[in-house]
This record gives sequence, C-alpha cells and structure tokens, in this order.
Amino acid sequence: MRVYIHPLPVRIWHWINAVGFVLMILTGMQIRYVGLIDVVSFRTAVNAHNFVAVVLIANFCLWLVFYLTSDRIRAYHSELNPKKHFIGSLKQAYYYGFGIFLGEPNPFKPTIYRKFNPLQSMIYQIVVMLLLPIQIYTGILLWNVKRFAAQVDFFGGVRVIDTVHVLIFIAFVFYVLVHVYLGTLGHTRMSHFKSMMTGYEDFEEEEAPAE
Amino acid sequence: MNRKRNGNGTVSRILTTFSFTIGTLALALALQAPPAAADEAISQANQNCLGCHGSAGMEKKLEDGSILKLQVPAEPYSKSVHAANGCTSCHSDVNLAAHPPEKREIKSARSFATEMTQVCRNCHADKFDQWQNSIHAAMVRRGNPEAPVCTDCHSPHAVIKGAAATLEQTPCKNCHSEIYAAYLGSVHAQSLLHSKDSFAPVCAGCHSAHEVKSPSATALSQGPEAACAGCHAGVLEEHQKWLPNAALHFEVVSCPVCHAPGAEHKVDLMLIDSKGQARQTEQIGVPLFEASLSSDSKGIDAQTLWNLLQTLNRSDAAAGKTVLRGRLDVVTGPEAHRLADKSKAISDCHTCHSKGSQAFQSVTVSLVGPDGRRVGYEANANVLDSPFSLGAVKGFYAIGATRIKLLDILLILAILGGVGIAVGHVALGWLFKYLGLYHPHGRAQASPPPGDGPKTA
Repeated sequence: MRVYIHPLPVRIWHWINAVGFVLMILTGMQIRYVGLIDVVSFRTAVNAHNFVAVVLIANFCLWLVFYLTSDRIRAYHSELNPKKHFIGSLKQAYYYGFGIFLGEPNPFKPTIYRKFNPLQSMIYQIVVMLLLPIQIYTGILLWNVKRFAAQVDFFGGVRVIDTVHVLIFIAFVFYVLVHVYLGTLGHTRMSHFKSMMTGYEDFEEEEAPAE
Repeated sequence: MNRKRNGNGTVSRILTTFSFTIGTLALALALQAPPAAADEAISQANQNCLGCHGSAGMEKKLEDGSILKLQVPAEPYSKSVHAANGCTSCHSDVNLAAHPPEKREIKSARSFATEMTQVCRNCHADKFDQWQNSIHAAMVRRGNPEAPVCTDCHSPHAVIKGAAATLEQTPCKNCHSEIYAAYLGSVHAQSLLHSKDSFAPVCAGCHSAHEVKSPSATALSQGPEAACAGCHAGVLEEHQKWLPNAALHFEVVSCPVCHAPGAEHKVDLMLIDSKGQARQTEQIGVPLFEASLSSDSKGIDAQTLWNLLQTLNRSDAAAGKTVLRGRLDVVTGPEAHRLADKSKAISDCHTCHSKGSQAFQSVTVSLVGPDGRRVGYEANANVLDSPFSLGAVKGFYAIGATRIKLLDILLILAILGGVGIAVGHVALGWLFKYLGLYHPHGRAQASPPPGDGPKTA
C-alpha cells in the first residue's frame, strides 16, 4: 500500500531547498576560496549567493507558514519522553550502524503525522529550526554589514558573524552529503527520492503502519 | 569785513570742494595704481623703516650664533597684503624714538619666529586657533624644531592672498618634498597643470591649511575619505552600483588602496576605545605596552595581541572596552598621494579577497602618541588568520584573504567525514554480504544492503 507522507508544498519546498543548498555551498566555496577555486568571478559568486539566499529565505517562510497553518506540524513535535526518545534513537542508530547489514527491517514506520524517525526528528529540528534561521540571520548581517552595524557589533564584530556563518556552512556541507546518502537507504535505493517526488511512500500490505 | 569774510568763506568752500574732489580722484587713482609702484604703495613712515631695512646685507647676530636677516625687500613687501598695515602693526615693540641703536637680544631665529606667532594671532585669531589644533602645533609643543610656525609657511613680508593655495607656491612642498613629487604625478596635479579651469585640490584642499592633522589620527568615520567625498559627491552611491558592501569598504579601505594602483598595502589595526570611538593613546612607561608592543623581528603575534586586549579590558573596566579596528591602507605617504585616473583603479575583487594577497602581509598595531601622531608597531601577519583573531580582531575580516585556517581544516574534515560515512557504510554492506551475514529473512521491508545494486520493489 502507499502512504501519502509528503504534501505538495513540502515537496516543492524540499527541492527548492535542495537546489538552493547546493548552489549556496558552491557559491560560498567560490567566495571563500578565491584563487583556489576560480570557476566564476568573486563578484558573480557574491551576487549569485545573495540571489539564491533571497529565494531560500522566501522558501523558508513558505515552509514555516505551511506548517504553522497545517496539522502536519505534528511531524515536528518533539518527543517529550526522554526515555522513549532515547530508546527510539538507540534502535535507529543500531539499525543504521549494524542491523541494516544483517538484513533486519527498519524499526521505524512513518505515518502522515509521524514521518521522521527519532534521529531524523532530532536532526531536522536542529537543522531547520536552529541552524537555518541562524544562517539566514548571519547571512543578512553579512549582506550589508554597515546597515546592520549595531547588531554586528552587538555580537562581537564581522569576524564573529562570519565565523558562525562558516561553521554552519561546514555543518550543512556535512549534512547534505550524509542526507543524500541516507536517502539511498530506503525500501529501495530510490524509494525515498521517489516519495519526495510523488509524496507517497510504498509499503507492503502486511507491513503497512497502523494509522 | 563781513564781505571779505564772506568772500574768504566762498573761496574757502570752493577750495575745500576742489580739494575734496582732487583728493577723491587721487584716492581713486591711487587704488587703481599698479602695484609695481612700490614706493607709492608704502607709507612715508614705512619708507623710513625701509630706508635701512631695505638695504641688502642688513642682518643681526643672534645669541645662538646664527644670523637673522633683517632686510625687507621693498618690492615684494609693497605687493603683500600686509603693506597697507605698516611695519609697526606687527613690530609694535620697536621703540622708534630709540631705534636704532636700541639692541634687542634674540635667542635664535626659531624662538623669534615662535614668539611672533602671537603677533599673527592678534589679527588672525581664527587661523591661529586652527593651527593650535593641528599636528604641526602639537609637534611644536613637543619641541620639534622642524615643525612649522606661521612664518615658515607665510613669508611675513611677502604674503599674497591665495598664493599658498597654488600648485607652484604651496609651502607644504618645502618639508614634504617627496610627497609633493608624488602628488605632481597624480590625477589631481595633472589636472591643474593641463587645465586652467581645473579645481583639483592642492595640499590644503584635502588636509586643510591650518588645522592640519595626521590622516591616520583623524576620526575613524572622517578619515581622508571624508576629504575625497568633499569634492567627489555621490561617490558612495557610484560604488554601490557594483561593489558589494560598498559602505563597509569605505570604512575599512582607504581610497588610495584602490585609486593608487601599484602601491603597497598594509593593515593598520587601531586600538580603539569602543565607547568613545577614539584611538587609544600610547601609555609610555606602562610595562604592559612596552612588553607587548615592543617590536621584534617577527612582530606582535596573535596570542600576544589577544592577551594584550584581555589585559587592557581587565585593567580598565570602568572605561570603554578597548577593541581593535582594522583598516587597509597604503604603506607610505607618497603612495597615498599618487592617485591615478579612476579608469586605472583596482576593481578586481581577487586582488584583495584571495589567500596570500599582498594587502594582508604587512600588519601594524597602532595607537596615538602624545603629540597626536600615529605610533605603529609591527605585527605578524598571522594575527589576521589565527583562531585568536576571533577574540582580538573581531571587527576586521576580508572574506577569503584573512580566513581562519582552522575553519578550512574543519571543512575538509566535514567533507571527508560525509563522504567517508557513505563509503564506509557501503563497504561494510559489501563485507557483510561477502561474509554471508546478510539475511533479509524474507522481510520485504528490509532494505537492500548498503552498496548493493538497486532492489526491485
């Protein structure tokens, strides 16, 4: 059977984000490593970086509005029982670290309102609700340092802001690489990618999760 | 009697009217008289003075053994703005009844010139006050014998209004000859030399004539750029059309860095009081400064600089925090004046924004000395890209060029880690399958082993 777990706005948001993140990383690398990487000029890279950033910020706002006005926001609700969360995370980590090699089934079965396994839930909350807003904020400050001089000075200066921006950039580089690889560990190699295109995740009849 | 008296009165009135008319005509003619008529432009009393002081060779031996020339050439004096004032307006201390042979002891020409500045002040109080606030006056107060007083720039007996503002006669070139030579090659001087209508600045146009200040000691927001913007209105808006963060560039990069192509660059890290936004004054004799800022062959390193700031902010917590504010500048004064046409200006971002850029290889840490002049100490270039810079040089960062190396290592680790996890995971999948440990147990939901071929759903 098929379960509809990715509504259209989320899919659009995801793929704009995917392309945007890759472009931001590539232009960011060009900006930071001028001389070492010379694919496009520094100025072109800066302008492209700023343009894609505006698209991603708008995209983030769309995502936020969608989830704030939809009951699907429950997917992002934290598991407040630490014991349950810890055990779930441990099972998931065991699966990816060992069980998957033995052919054991994925301990987590996604549903419409609970589509993230405990590890995903934790990571996505950190990435989307903490790191991404900080990255957007520091990026805006760096976009026009003089206009936001008071805030830049409040946080310690342009080097501090830039260092935070670069640290999150490094985290995102790691995240994107691992995220893409984990995308291949679904029911089939391509099932997670397909579900993010169609919105539906396929399940065998007897394995279908209870609603 | 009455008639005679009346007749005399009439004659007197006619004579008075005639005299007045003649006098008026004479005055009008006198005002229009060519300045070459030196004797006519100088009053009789002054001509009496020039009777002796106009003679060549008139001089006086001073206490220090030097010779003070007492000759006042009549021709230049008659053309000077001071000719109408008369000698005694400035030399009021001379007792004409006893002069000569009254002798006045003068210690040295320098002491006499310095003393006479007070005479200039009598009429030019505003200019004198401006000079008092200048780097020149500060140097005089510090006892510098070369620092100019009024008469070093304005020859007192040959002052012509506006002459000092001309390219040929600007007095600044007497002391700043090297800078003047560089300036002659600049777009400003060339404009003046080739166009009569040019209003390009001579020295005082940017540095002001009397309130001359060391450019690096001016307020941070009103450095030399403020002088440039005085003529080049709308220059920020022009740069904003193509230069990202143009306002920030204006604050941290001096105009000559880009507009004097070929000049060597340096980073000046200024110790600033964050509350007053003023430059810290050197504390001579304070061991902290002497130990930390003493230049050795390698200059101040990153950790020393960070420690210095920590100590400064700990020891003087009541005052504003001391921070470092960086500014990219040209290395020498002459280079700063070798401004080229804007078509030759540096506009390639790569020049500065790449690692190893020449612009960031020379670093100084600077404060203001007691005389108002900048005091700089050599620093190691690593102060700009060491992890310590995050604590010390918070306010200065050039993307790409001064990036912290540790972050580069972290990025490499992140890429290696991300790829390594995928490759390692796939390799383990192959290994488990190779060892026969992979048993899907008939569960359709079980994923294929990592690295295995695509599984048909």
